[in-house]
Amino acid sequence: MRKPASAIAVHGILILYTALALFPIILVIMNSFKARKAIFGAPLALPTPSTFSLIGYDKVFGDSSIVSYYLNSITATGGTIFFTLLFGAMAAWALTEYKFRWNTLLTLFLAVGIMVPIRLGSVAIIQLIVELNLINTLTALILVYTAQNLPLSIFILSEFIAQIPKDLREAGRCDGLSEYSIFFYIVLPLIRPAMATVAVFTMIPVWNDLWFPLLLAPTGGKQTITLGIQQFLGQYITDWNAVLSALSTAIIPVLILYVVFSRQLIRGLTSGAVK
Amino acid sequence: MADAKAGAGNAIVGMGRGSYAMLLVFFLGPAVVIYTVFSIYPLLATIFNSLYLRQPDGAYIFNGLGNFQTLLTDTTWSAPFWNAFRNNCYFFLIHMLVQNPIGLALAAMLSLPRLRFRATYRTLIFMPTMLSVVIIGFTWQLILSPLWGISKMFLNAFGLGFLFAPWLGQESTALITVSLISVWQFVGIPMILIYTALLAIPEELIDAATVDGLNQFQAFIWVKLPLIFPTIGLVSVLTFVNNFNAFDLIYAMKGALAGPNFSADIMGTLFYRTFFGNQLQLGDLSMGSTIATMMFLIILIGIMCYLFLIQRRMQRYSF
Amino acid sequence: MSEVKIEKLCKSYGPVEVLKDIDLTVEDGSFVVLVGPSGCGKSTLLRSIAGLEPVNSGNMTIGGKQVNDLPPAQREIAMVFQSYALYPHMDVYNNMAFGLKFAKTPKAEIDARVNEAARILQLEPLLKRRPRELSGGQRQRVAIGRAIVRKPQVFLFDEPLSNLDAALRINTRVEIAKLHKMLKATIMYVTHDQVEAMTLADKIVVMNNGRVEQAGRPLELYYKPNNLFVAGFIGSPAMNFLPAQVKKGGTLALSDGQELKATLPSSCKTGDSVTLGFRPEHMTLGGTGNFALTGTVDIIERLGESGFAHVRLPSGQTIIAEVRGDPRTSSGQSAKLTFNAENLHIFNAEGRRLG
Repeated sequence: MRKPASAIAVHGILILYTALALFPIILVIMNSFKARKAIFGAPLALPTPSTFSLIGYDKVFGDSSIVSYYLNSITATGGTIFFTLLFGAMAAWALTEYKFRWNTLLTLFLAVGIMVPIRLGSVAIIQLIVELNLINTLTALILVYTAQNLPLSIFILSEFIAQIPKDLREAGRCDGLSEYSIFFYIVLPLIRPAMATVAVFTMIPVWNDLWFPLLLAPTGGKQTITLGIQQFLGQYITDWNAVLSALSTAIIPVLILYVVFSRQLIRGLTSGAVK
Repeated sequence: MADAKAGAGNAIVGMGRGSYAMLLVFFLGPAVVIYTVFSIYPLLATIFNSLYLRQPDGAYIFNGLGNFQTLLTDTTWSAPFWNAFRNNCYFFLIHMLVQNPIGLALAAMLSLPRLRFRATYRTLIFMPTMLSVVIIGFTWQLILSPLWGISKMFLNAFGLGFLFAPWLGQESTALITVSLISVWQFVGIPMILIYTALLAIPEELIDAATVDGLNQFQAFIWVKLPLIFPTIGLVSVLTFVNNFNAFDLIYAMKGALAGPNFSADIMGTLFYRTFFGNQLQLGDLSMGSTIATMMFLIILIGIMCYLFLIQRRMQRYSF
Repeated sequence: MSEVKIEKLCKSYGPVEVLKDIDLTVEDGSFVVLVGPSGCGKSTLLRSIAGLEPVNSGNMTIGGKQVNDLPPAQREIAMVFQSYALYPHMDVYNNMAFGLKFAKTPKAEIDARVNEAARILQLEPLLKRRPRELSGGQRQRVAIGRAIVRKPQVFLFDEPLSNLDAALRINTRVEIAKLHKMLKATIMYVTHDQVEAMTLADKIVVMNNGRVEQAGRPLELYYKPNNLFVAGFIGSPAMNFLPAQVKKGGTLALSDGQELKATLPSSCKTGDSVTLGFRPEHMTLGGTGNFALTGTVDIIERLGESGFAHVRLPSGQTIIAEVRGDPRTSSGQSAKLTFNAENLHIFNAEGRRLG
């Protein structure tokens, strides 16, 4: 960036693209706080005291199920993260630390799940979930999402576990720890940063997914917020206040989480964890 | 997974065969069971289902590759299938031609040395990628809606108002519009992956190129670009897998029928419609499985091409 | 009694034998140092004793108890690792107490032991710190402290000083020697640094290619190396070797025709090819030894009080001799090196010591 002219050009392009990326999001949030007339009359204006209105939000939260959809999403996402991290770290530890005959084969077996989308098995997944009597339950979602996210998390965590110095695990053995204690008292605390990265990677797609909620828990009050919003939008398609507010309700928490975790997420992405 | 612990026996000193097996079962069991039952088994069962045909009385009989024959040759099935396949190819092509070059260009700019506000740009441009496809779909639907008139207003500002049309609603433009919206949302992924690869290139290499008389742009084309080919290959295969597996955006924007006269129908929506049924037809488990198996094969072919043709020829450099 | 006895110990990684028929006794309270070039098997031997590596055959006893199939924690050993292997997520106190907690030692007892170790190692002000807040030397002391609190029969040290800078290494070496005296502990210590070996050990075990080449007191190894490997490994700079032939009347003829007259051991026969060995520090430039070699000075490395002259013999071989003070010799001049008969080592064609 020696020449100021080229620096300005680069910043110009980046600012333009950033504006393009943010414009739709800002537009929706901004207009969700306006009365219907202002939405159509001056869509690009910020809400003013005279145009300010929360009528859309009243409708969204008046539909009391939105709150429970949020709780469903939190439960499904939280449960998925918990089991993905716990079982993923356990498997990653065994695959990196222990020698056994099927080690390589098992690793390849797990690698299949990184590349092949689990969605393609949806027909059989539904049959299985019906069979298990888990249709319209969050348990079904947690099980499927955990299966979906385990392979990648195992691979990311394996890389981190392999970086723990061998001396450290052996010091544990000399200190009289069982293999189980070595995992829970030494390995788990040391891979906490890696687990945070995996948690963020897991959280975003699970929270945003529409497919499996649509297939496995479409009714019965167990909808996730993404599906709930989709259904809500379909129902109120002509009520612009309600639509914009519903969209904002879905966007804002994710944006807050993103701003909080963006450093973690980008660091995870740029640390070469996914390759 | 080589470990220096390969010894006389595989087991840990002082641990019997039984407790060693227990140890492996404890650590590997939960992950392997959940993964096998809810991921591998359904994939295999779907392929298995695709070999059976539903009889009018509801029973299923073995039909060999008959379902595939029906899907590819019987016009009731093959017309929608080839339509969805062709649309999906366009969908992929638009991502390859628009999303990945833009991602590359953004990454190249972000990785320029001494760029200020780098982290801010990166964070903000990545933001749409974080949001649910449902929300993105609806947001763009509103923006492009003639009712609200935002897009028209913008075009008018540039004197291009005559260009405005209900792009999402027209048969000729629905697919390309949806594709571009998807590009807009997911451009952050190639950007970040390529950006990471660019950061891994040591600065001395660029300094060396500068000493050799190359300017920033030439150094990028002749030094950096060849070094990130492996990443571009990876980005391409990820795009392929995601595109041929896409569903959410089209469903959210156009519903299961995917636009005027199926003009935005892709494999994912076709699969959903076939399996669940819709206003026009009943759900069909066998044909749904058959389409899913076709998607599986398409994705598999893509991955194989990547592994055998692209990745094998590409040299990975270590710095 | 915490004697370590190793009999016929063998270990291989697949087809590669890394330990071949090792026999070794470590007496109670002694300090035994394992040395050898990298890859010689010394660390593997130590780790096998610790129970971190399974072995193929042989027998190991610690304090009279057979330990072959016991896990590390039941062998009553403590290990100090090269990288210290301190738990990064625990403070100094807990690093030392961790193993005891798992052994269900009563709280008061743990406290007493940790404080005692901290006192000995001057770690008391650091007990609440995390490893990353410690200097290299402090980490090293914590690693030793963690070993002490276990009250093991045997301490195992795996190259504990190699991550320290030169000055700290000498200090810590002295500290370890003092600690050994104070605790009267049995110690096995792996290093590739022969100065550490010479200064610390009661007994040095020289290993090469998975075998024990020689075990003995440091000066025994220095003055009576069993074979060419040990002769060349112990001492710095390394011993000079020259091939020679035994002539009639007990004369040793070098390849360039120079001859040395020596009292040869009875096993030397006329016509035998032998290797002569003499240490740089036993030779003088000029001087009056009963043996003399002449050659041309290539270069003199001056270290201050002493230095090393590299002297090229007419045969083309270079030998190194220590010089004291400031010899008025410079490159290209001819020089006469002398040394005494008792400092001459003779090895037979198989590399074994004669006499």
